[in-house]
Amino acid sequence: MSSRTEKKVFGIIRIIVLVVFMLGVILPLYWMIITAFKTTPEIIDTQNITYYPHKVTLGNFVEIFKAYDYGHLLYNSVVVSVSTAVAVTILSLFGGYGLTRFKFKGKNLTIIGFLVTQMIPGILVIIPLYVVLSKVRLLNTHIGLFVYYLAANLPFCIITMRSFFERIPYTLEEAAQVDGCSRLKGLFKIIIPIMFPGIIAVFVFAFIGAWNELIAGTILINSHDMWTIPIGLKSMIGKYEIKWGTLMAGGVLALLPTAVVFAIMQKYVVEGLTSGAVKE
Amino acid sequence: MKKRLEPLWYILPALIVLLLVFAVPLVRTFTMAFQRYSLTSLNNIKFNGMENFRNLFADKNISLIIKNSLFYVVFSVTLQFLLGMILALALRRSFRGRGIYQAIVFLPWAFSAFVVGLLFRWCFNGEYGVVNDILLRLGVISERISWIGTPGLSLLVVILAMVWMGVPFFAIMNLAALQSISNDVYEAASIDGCGIVSGFFAITLPYIKPTIITTILLRTIWVFNSFDLIVMITNGGPASSSQTLCSYMYTQAFTSYDFGMASALGVVLVVALAIYTFVFLVVTNYSKAGDF
Repeated sequence: MSSRTEKKVFGIIRIIVLVVFMLGVILPLYWMIITAFKTTPEIIDTQNITYYPHKVTLGNFVEIFKAYDYGHLLYNSVVVSVSTAVAVTILSLFGGYGLTRFKFKGKNLTIIGFLVTQMIPGILVIIPLYVVLSKVRLLNTHIGLFVYYLAANLPFCIITMRSFFERIPYTLEEAAQVDGCSRLKGLFKIIIPIMFPGIIAVFVFAFIGAWNELIAGTILINSHDMWTIPIGLKSMIGKYEIKWGTLMAGGVLALLPTAVVFAIMQKYVVEGLTSGAVKE
Repeated sequence: MKKRLEPLWYILPALIVLLLVFAVPLVRTFTMAFQRYSLTSLNNIKFNGMENFRNLFADKNISLIIKNSLFYVVFSVTLQFLLGMILALALRRSFRGRGIYQAIVFLPWAFSAFVVGLLFRWCFNGEYGVVNDILLRLGVISERISWIGTPGLSLLVVILAMVWMGVPFFAIMNLAALQSISNDVYEAASIDGCGIVSGFFAITLPYIKPTIITTILLRTIWVFNSFDLIVMITNGGPASSSQTLCSYMYTQAFTSYDFGMASALGVVLVVALAIYTFVFLVVTNYSKAGDF
């Protein structure tokens, strides 16, 4: 094969690949969205499965708010996820700074320790945490859940933040220190504005991490009014008759914030995700 | 003295959180593994030596569950790696609208397993599912398949959902690695008569080997550890046929409330993961391939 025909063939294959992947992502989502807008009789008509809603309804969305108190689930999820994201961002900003700008004994050990926590199955921590939290009476509270989400997301975020710090030359800060700027002031005045993409990435990681978590939620929370969205939706499939329309409406609403945040911040998030693993 | 302690003030808050929430419970796991520890009889907690481990390996489900775990991890990681690599290669050269394309195709990475689990459970529903309907219309099957209700098939649905969620991760990581290869290398090679296919094996693959190793290592552990898709799609069923080690530990702890047994399983998990990491790094010769 000459190199020109080879190029042409691969060009065509490439377009096919791109189209197939796009469809692979969109079609399942399409199915979820149209199910959410179908009426129940249309959904359960096995003889005639429809590929677009013949009768569009908002009934499923109304029902999930009315019968399943989605507003309250949403409120709980926002409280837990936002507080996790804020706390993780602050702690990893300082942690990442400490791990880049200082030399000290046990630094590598600390970094390895952070990496090791990423390899431990969450369930291994959650089960004994259940015992510990019940002793300090934090079981079934948002604080208990927050504490777990904080610890679960912190190591990865610190390491990500550290690789962002490493890209900023230390001389920049030194210059400021020579001019009489304290270290902390230098951090806030000089570094944080440059670090903005990294801070956004870490915030999004922690937010998505907490927003999407199911297992710890089902274990550490048991009363209705404390439930976050994942726990609430999971409870709906335990029943004999699953209301798929309502469930898909709940799914669409749960994906919406992550989809919007990710689509807008995609550039930063991808940068954060790859900053640690790929050397430049 | 003040100077030496300074870094501590920055890292200490994070370290304290991790020690309290990771280290303390982990130590508890190791002690509970050697205790009779059941939530239903909290007054009767005492050390029982290796009894939990003996019970664990005497469990008639255990060989099935180990087999499931291997099947689940190997298939989902291999598939998502290959597909992610193909996608990364297709995205390497810029084209108009690539930003928007990526924003959509990478979306499943940000999606939560509980919604993806629901979605796949719905698509593969035996009565009203769209997958059965399409296969029927195409004439691939003659009657509806009960995907979730059939041993073997239920785990397959979990694997497909896992692959769907995991492709963007490999695509993002490999794409970043691919883009760090200078175009000059390919141009020089093409002057020497190197084609696209041979270029891939001679230049691309060796160049991004460190990324491939790190991502596969991390993803394998992550897939092994995560079981929220299993909880959402099959709940381990039918009859433990889609149960993996981690989901089994969850089931053990919160259906029988036998934390001792669950902790013993946890200890086995940690040992297995440590061995895996070590063997993987030795086999792939990681220290020579590059570092983090």
